[in-house]
Amino acid sequence: MRGSFLWRNRVLLTSSALLILSLHLISTGVHPGDLAARPESAFLEIISPVDAAFTHLTDGASSIVTDYLDLLHVREENAHLRNELARVKSDRARLAELEVENQHLGELLELKDVLGANAVAANVIGSDATGLSRTLILASGSSDGLRPGMAVLANQGVVGKIIAISPHASRVLLIDDHNSALDGFDQRSRARGIVAGLVDEGLILKYADRSQDIRIGDTIVTSGLDGIFPRGLLVGTIQSVHRGGPGLFLGVRIEPAVDFRELEQVLIVTQPPPHLDDPAKD
Amino acid sequence: MRLTLLFAAFVVLGLAFETAVPHLVPFRALIPNLIIILVVDLGLRHHGVVPAMLAFAMGYATDALAGSHPGLNAFMMTMVFLVSYEISTRLMVTNALVGATVVFLGVIATTLATVAFANGFNALSDTGSMLGGLTLEAAISAIVAPFIFSMLAASKRMTGLPVRAKRE
Repeated sequence: MRGSFLWRNRVLLTSSALLILSLHLISTGVHPGDLAARPESAFLEIISPVDAAFTHLTDGASSIVTDYLDLLHVREENAHLRNELARVKSDRARLAELEVENQHLGELLELKDVLGANAVAANVIGSDATGLSRTLILASGSSDGLRPGMAVLANQGVVGKIIAISPHASRVLLIDDHNSALDGFDQRSRARGIVAGLVDEGLILKYADRSQDIRIGDTIVTSGLDGIFPRGLLVGTIQSVHRGGPGLFLGVRIEPAVDFRELEQVLIVTQPPPHLDDPAKD
Repeated sequence: MRLTLLFAAFVVLGLAFETAVPHLVPFRALIPNLIIILVVDLGLRHHGVVPAMLAFAMGYATDALAGSHPGLNAFMMTMVFLVSYEISTRLMVTNALVGATVVFLGVIATTLATVAFANGFNALSDTGSMLGGLTLEAAISAIVAPFIFSMLAASKRMTGLPVRAKRE
């Protein structure tokens, strides 16, 4: 057995079989409910509490460092005062954090009122593991009523859509990811296009006709035609318009309205928007 | 079984670190690619069917938390494992320097291949601005690799696992 061809080449053969399996997964894709989606969902479920704990720990670490640096200045003071100071500072930091969170949730609540009752708030607990794609991990999942394909918003504007889900966690594909696309239009000129992400960084408006009147500073909003994002939500503002080159379309870069790195809470629209006619014709 | 549990623990902690820490640093490139380091250790020091399957599983676990193409990281990690395995069968020594070099090249190769696979080969022309960050990430991963290898070796000794593979 040990001298046989299969045994001698077991690593190569196993790896080759696994490479073929990977290519099969890439080419066919994994859809929610598939057998192949179960390990993914299970791992998302396993990692989400660890991730939430890590996020809590790392967020707390920066305030601990600040507290420690402050305490170095009062080393001469007696232990009682130092402990008291640390306690007060800790309470103050916690209250400040609660105030910020309260403000975020209040803003989300206002947005929820605008959208109607069909929205759920969720905390952001992580970002993309490799950094090659732009995704977020949320601490809410199917048990909170979330489903793949649902729109994710912040009080500043559109964030992305849910692409993977487990009972208590979900993943969001941000609108600035290269594989993301949403239907949007220029609020002033009504020029339509597809908002897509770039590989390096940033957002562009694709397929905007050269004859369209698009200017720097114009606001881009969602059209609602993609069946995911409600109409009229802020996507960003036009950063640059490139009319040179041989192509049929304008080169339009958009400054996103949302700072995706700073997101802590988001709102998920649990009901798809109603079917709309082309809003650019309004 | 012990090898599986040991690497599962390292993968969970590694992925939690990679997803939770990026918002605290100014550049994503400062975060080392811990999963590639684990896969290189598997490829260099554990030869068999189970380590190959572990490398695939580690990639698939990364797919659960990264990107929008399930199977892509599983493919990349299996490739890294296979290359590391082939290198270890051809070299007389597989020390930390060799491991760090494989990690450095592995990070660059898998990143470019992932961009090409996920976005089409035309997207590689847009990666010019990424190259500085990519090289930095690869260098940081290579610097961190010997420490992770040492931690793994210590954990393997504690659990009674062989630290390196037997010559075939």
